[in-house]
Amino acid sequence: MAFKTLSKSEKAYIQSSLQASSSFRSDGRALQDYRTVALETGVVPLANGSARINIGKGSDEGGGTEILAAAKLEVEDVEHGDGVEGGRVSCSVSCSPSAYPFASSGTLDDLQHDYTSLVHSALSHPSLRPANLSILRGKKSWLLSLDLVVLSDCGNVYDALFMAARAAMWDTKVPRTRSVEYRASKNRTGGGTGDMEVDDEQQSGLDTRQVKAATDFELEDYWDEGEPLAGRETWPVCITLNLLPRLHFLDATSSEEAAIPHRLLLAYSFASRSTPTLQGMQLLGPGEVDLVHIKALIQEGEKYASDLYTSLNTKLKDEDIRRTDKARLRFAAVR
Amino acid sequence: MVEITIRKRQREDAVITQRKFFKKTARGKVIKVIRERYLRDDVVCGIDGCRECYSTVGPLLPFNGALDHKLFPHGHFVLPDTNVFLAQMDLLESTLFTSPIILLQTVLEEVRHRSLPLYNRLKTLVKVDDKRTWIFYNEYRSETAVVREEDESPNDRNDRGIRKGTSWYNSHISVTRPTTRGQITPLPSVVLLTDDVANRLKAEKEGIPCLSVRKYVEGMPKASQLLDLLAATDSEALEPTVAAGGRGAIYEDYLPTGELAAGIKAGKLHQGHFNANQFNYLEGSVSVPAFEKRILLVGRENMNRSVDGDIVVVEVFDEKEWKAPADEVIDQEVTLKNDDVEDSDEEGDNNEAIVEERKALKTEEAARRAAEKQPTGRVVGIIKRNWRAYVCHIDSTSLTSSNATSLSQQTVFATPVSRLLPRIRMRTRQAPTLIGQKILVTIDKWDITSRYPEGHFVRALGKVESKEAEQESLLLEFDVPYRPFGKAILDCLPSEGEQWVVPPKSETSLEWRDREDLRDLNICSIDPPNCQDIDDALHARRLPNGNIEAGVHIADVSHFVLPDNPMDDEAASRGTTVYLVDKRIDMLPSLLGTNLCSLRPFVERLAFSVIWELSPGAEIVNVRFTKSVIASKFAFTYAEAQKRKDDLKLHDDLTESIRMLNTVAQKLKAGRMTAGALNLASPEVKIHLDSSESSDPIDVEQKEMLETNSLVEEFMLLANISVARKIQETFPQTAVLRRHLPPPSANFEKLQDILKKRKGLNLDVSSSGALAASLDKCLDPTEPAFNTLVRIMATRCMLSAEYFCSGSVSKETFGHYGLASPIYTHFTSPIRRYADVLAHRQLSAAISHTPLHASLHSKTHVERVLGVVNRRHRMAQMAGRASVEFYVGLALKARVEKSLKVHSGKVTEEAFVIRTFRNGLGVFVSKLGLEGLVTFKRETQFDAENYTFTIPVAETGDKDVTIAVFDKVVVSIDVEKDRNTQRGKVKMTLVSPIDSTAL
Repeated sequence: MAFKTLSKSEKAYIQSSLQASSSFRSDGRALQDYRTVALETGVVPLANGSARINIGKGSDEGGGTEILAAAKLEVEDVEHGDGVEGGRVSCSVSCSPSAYPFASSGTLDDLQHDYTSLVHSALSHPSLRPANLSILRGKKSWLLSLDLVVLSDCGNVYDALFMAARAAMWDTKVPRTRSVEYRASKNRTGGGTGDMEVDDEQQSGLDTRQVKAATDFELEDYWDEGEPLAGRETWPVCITLNLLPRLHFLDATSSEEAAIPHRLLLAYSFASRSTPTLQGMQLLGPGEVDLVHIKALIQEGEKYASDLYTSLNTKLKDEDIRRTDKARLRFAAVR
Repeated sequence: MVEITIRKRQREDAVITQRKFFKKTARGKVIKVIRERYLRDDVVCGIDGCRECYSTVGPLLPFNGALDHKLFPHGHFVLPDTNVFLAQMDLLESTLFTSPIILLQTVLEEVRHRSLPLYNRLKTLVKVDDKRTWIFYNEYRSETAVVREEDESPNDRNDRGIRKGTSWYNSHISVTRPTTRGQITPLPSVVLLTDDVANRLKAEKEGIPCLSVRKYVEGMPKASQLLDLLAATDSEALEPTVAAGGRGAIYEDYLPTGELAAGIKAGKLHQGHFNANQFNYLEGSVSVPAFEKRILLVGRENMNRSVDGDIVVVEVFDEKEWKAPADEVIDQEVTLKNDDVEDSDEEGDNNEAIVEERKALKTEEAARRAAEKQPTGRVVGIIKRNWRAYVCHIDSTSLTSSNATSLSQQTVFATPVSRLLPRIRMRTRQAPTLIGQKILVTIDKWDITSRYPEGHFVRALGKVESKEAEQESLLLEFDVPYRPFGKAILDCLPSEGEQWVVPPKSETSLEWRDREDLRDLNICSIDPPNCQDIDDALHARRLPNGNIEAGVHIADVSHFVLPDNPMDDEAASRGTTVYLVDKRIDMLPSLLGTNLCSLRPFVERLAFSVIWELSPGAEIVNVRFTKSVIASKFAFTYAEAQKRKDDLKLHDDLTESIRMLNTVAQKLKAGRMTAGALNLASPEVKIHLDSSESSDPIDVEQKEMLETNSLVEEFMLLANISVARKIQETFPQTAVLRRHLPPPSANFEKLQDILKKRKGLNLDVSSSGALAASLDKCLDPTEPAFNTLVRIMATRCMLSAEYFCSGSVSKETFGHYGLASPIYTHFTSPIRRYADVLAHRQLSAAISHTPLHASLHSKTHVERVLGVVNRRHRMAQMAGRASVEFYVGLALKARVEKSLKVHSGKVTEEAFVIRTFRNGLGVFVSKLGLEGLVTFKRETQFDAENYTFTIPVAETGDKDVTIAVFDKVVVSIDVEKDRNTQRGKVKMTLVSPIDSTAL
C-alpha cells in the first residue's frame, strides 16, 4: 500500500532477503506462514452477528491488523421499499483515520471505496445469498448489512476483511418469523341461522387456486436470537498471494506490502469440501503477470485457502461453544 | 489525586448480565433490545424477624405466615403463579383472603405483559393495608435468577424461575431459623399456588409444596364463601371431571391474533365495537369505517360470543347475503326460559330451548324486508374484551334446590340488568340467599362449547328495589367513580376549610393579584331551586354611551384546583359531576363545590368574569376577560327571577338589570335562530321528592321552561363562544373546545321516510338551518305534542357533542351543529365539568394571569384527558337517565297501587306510536318521558313499507284495526316484577283503539 513509503534500499533489502535461498522475513516466519490470528465473535451485543479479528498482535497486546465486523438485519418492504425478493446483502467498509494517520481524507475515502466495492461484490453475489433472508414472499425480506471497520492496518487487510466478514456472518442469527395470513374461508358463506347447512367443499387435488395471501409476519419468539444464516459455511475466505518473481508469500506485513510489485487476491468458497469455487480474483499492482503463472498460483491458493478455511471453522465453532455452553456453566458455577 | 477505577464487566459474562430480546415495532421493523442485569445477594425476603435479611421498608410478612390453613398447621406463605393473578384476581382481592402473599418479580412482569388492567389491580392489591404482600425481586437475586436454556420457551423459563423462587424461600427459611440443640422446630412452608398442571407436576417432582387454587381454598377457614369467588378455569383438566365427550362446539374458534391483524391490514376483516340489539338478543351490529351502514350480525353463531362493548373483528359476507335489520322483538327470557343450566353445554336438536330459538329466528328471517339491506357478517376474533362486573339478578327457576339453607354448590343463571347482555352461568353455594338481591357478577370465559358465558359472583349489593342497592348498581353499571375523596385529595383544599374568605383587599394579597374589584356591581345568580353549586352569576348595566355592559361571572375554580395535584387528577378522572335523582356524585370535594366556589349571595367570592359591551341591538362591541372578586346580591330561582321581572311595580337596580339581560337574551336568541340553531327536545321529566329523608317520589312531571331559563342559557352560550374564540386564538394547538358534528344524512333516512309516508311532511336535513325550518313546519293541528315528538325523534338521529383538542382535528370540523356556532367550548360550569376547568386554565394563561401548566401545552395529554371526560360525560348522562327511569317506575308503581285501591282501574296514559315491529309497537308516553313496548302474541299484519300494523278482529265482526307510526293510542301501564329474576319491568298494554290484553 502506498501509505508506507520505503526507500529504494529498504525495498531492495526486503526483496533480496525474501528471494534469498532460504528466505528471511523480518519476523522470522516462513513464506507460507501466517501471523497469529486472534478472533472473537459476538463483540457487538446489539448487532445480529459480529466479530473482531486481529492479525499479528504483538506479545505486548499491541499492533496487528485489526478489523471489527458487525452484521445487522433490517426488514425491507419488497413491494414498496428497496427490498429485493429473497433478501439481499450489502457490505460497507470504513477505515478508521487512526489506522492510516498519514492519509488525507480524500485518499481515505478512495481506500474505503476500494475495500467496499471488493468486499461487497464478493459477498453480495447471488450465489452466496443465504436462503433464509426472505420473510414473506413478495412482501418483506431481510436486508443483511455488514459493516466492517478497519481499526488498524499492519498489512494483509484483505484477508483480514474477509475473515472478519466470514466470522460475523457465521455469528449472524436471523430472528425466526412466522407469516400470518388471513384467507376468507370458502366453505362458510354465512347463513347465520342455527341449522346451517354446511356442505363441505370437496378439497380437490387438482385445485391449485390456493392463493397464499400472507400479509404480515410476527416474531415467533421474542427472546430467541433465531437461527444461523443458511449456508454459513459457504462464505468465502480470501488469500492474498504476494508476488515476487519466482516466488510468492502469504500474510505480508505493511513493509513487505510496500516492497513488492504485485498482489493476487483469491476468494474461495467451500460449498462442498472437495471442489472449492473461486468466488473472486483481483490482481493488484502495476505491470503484468503471465497467465500461465497465474494458473499455477490459483492452484496453490486453493490449498492455502483450504487450510485457512479449516482453522477458521474450528475457531468459530469454539467461539459458539464458549458463548453458550461455557457461559452457562460459568453462570452455574458463580452460584 | 482522585483515584478513578473502572470496574469493567467481562464480556464473557454477557449471558448472565444481559437480557436480549427482539421487538417488532408498529411500523414493521425488528429491533433488538438489550437490558443489563445486576445480580446481588442482598435482596431481602420480606419475612419479619429473618436473621439474614434486614429490611426497613414496608410492612413485612409475619414470622410464621398464616396459621389458619388446614394443610399447613405450622404456618405458610402463598406464592401464586402468574395464572392465578390472571384468572383469580377477585379471589385474591377478597377481604376474606388473608394469607400472606409472596409476589415474585417474574410473576409481576408476566402479569403486566399479559394484561395491563389486571396489573393495575395487582398493584393496588399490593398497597392495600389489610393484605400482606411482599414483592420479591427474584430476577435480581443471584440465587434465584434464571437464564434461559437453549430451546426453552419464555413461559417455561418463567415457570422455572417461579419454582426456583419457591424452593429458595423454603430453603431460606430452613437455613435462617434457629435450631435448638439439633432439634428442628417445624417450619412454615412456602406454597406454590398454580393452576398450571404441568408446572405443578414439575414442582412436585422437585419437592416443592404446591397446590391448585381450588385445593388451597378448600382448606381455608372461610372456604364456602371464597369458593364462590373462584373463576371458572380449565385448570381441573387433570383432576377427575366428567368426561367431556359428546360436547359439540356451538361456536367457531377465533382466529389467531396475528391472522386477525393481517386480515385487518389487508382490508378483508373489519374491526369495531360490538353493539348488541336491545330488542333482539339474537342480533348485534358493528359499525366500521369501511361501510356506511353498520354490519349486522344475525344469530348466535355469527355474533360468536361477543358481549356488548367488546372490540371485535368481523368478516363481511357476500353482498347477496346482506339483510335488513330485524323488525321483531325477541326477548331472551321468553325464548330461552326453559333452557336448563346444567345441560346448556350440550348442543342437540332435542333441546327444546334451542328449537324455540331457531323457530324465532326463522320466522323472523322470513319477514325481513328486501329493502334496506345492510351488510352482514360474522365475528372471527376479539381484539379486546370489555368485560367488567355486571349487575345481575339470579334467575330463580334455574335453581335446582331452593332450600334456603342448602349450601350445596349449584349452577345458576344470572340475568344482567342491562338488556344488552347475555345471561351468565355461574356456580355458587349461596344461591338461595342471593335470590331477590342485586349482585355483581363478572364474566370469566366463554367457551365454544357453552351457549352462555361463564362467570362468578363478586358481591351482593342489596335487596332488589332498595334504594341503596339500586343506586349503587346504577353507579357500577355506568362506571361512575363514587368512592369518597381520599385524604391526599382533601389535603389539597385550603386549610381554612369552611372558614375561608376572600382576604381584605391589599397590594400584597395573593388572591387580589391582578384581580378586578367588582364587588359593587349588581350581580345576581339564577338557578334551579335548591341549587347548591352555583357556578355562574350575571349582571348588566347601561353605559353612558347607550350601550349595555353585560357580565357573566363564573366561579374561579382554577384558583383552588391547581394543575397536577391529587385533587386535579381525581377531578380529571371523574370528569363530571353525576346527578342522580336522589344523589349527586361530586367531581370536586363539596367544600369547593357548595361553598368556596359556589357564588352564594351576600359573600365575596373569587370569579372569572367575561364582560361584554353590547350595542342595543345585542351586537358585541367589545369583550374582555378578567379574574375578579364579586359579591352576589341575590340568588334567584328561575321562577323568582321571572316573577320579579314581570312585576311592573319594581324598578330597583337588580330588577332592571334582569330586564336588561332578558331583552338582550331575546335578541341573542333570535340571532342564533336565524343562524340556524336547532331547537331540540329531549324528554325531560322531573321527579318530585317529598322530603330529602324518605325520598319517595310523589309524582312525575315534565320540566317547564321559563323565560329566565332561556336568559341564563343565552348568556352562558355567549360566554362559551367568546372564551372558545379567545383560547383557540392563543393556543391553536391545544385549546379545549367542544363540537357537534353534523349528522350524516343517512341517519335521518328512516325518519324522513316515516314523515313522508305517514304525514306527507318533508324534512330537509341539508343544513342545520334547513332542518330547524322544516322541523318548525312539522305540525299537526289536532295534536300539539306532535311537534315535540318529531323533535325528540330528530334529536335521536343526531350525533352527540364531544370535547376535542383544537390541534387534533381540521378547522372545518370545529363547528357546533346544534348551536350553529363555528366554535364552542365549555367554560361556565367548572364546578361540575372538568373540561371547563381546563378552559379556565387556558383562558387565564391567555390573559397572562397565570402561566399555562406544561401539560396543557401537550396535545397528546389534552387529547387523553378529553377522551376520559367525553366518556364520563356520556356515562353520567346515561346514569342520570337510568336514575330517573327507576324513580318513574317507583312513582308508577305507587300510582298503580293507588288507582287499584280507589277504583280498581289501571293507570292509563296517552302515548304515541314511535316504531312498529312485526309483533309489537314501540310507544312513547310523553307525560312520563317513558318509552315502552307493546307486544302481541297473535298473528298480525305488518306493513313495513308504510309503518302500519293491522290487527285483525275477525271474531267480533268489527273492522280490522290499523295502527301506524305517530298514531296516538292509549296504553295501560303496569309495573310487574319478573317472577324469576325480580327485575322490575314496565309492562304496557294497548287500551285504545283496541284492547290488546287478549292479543
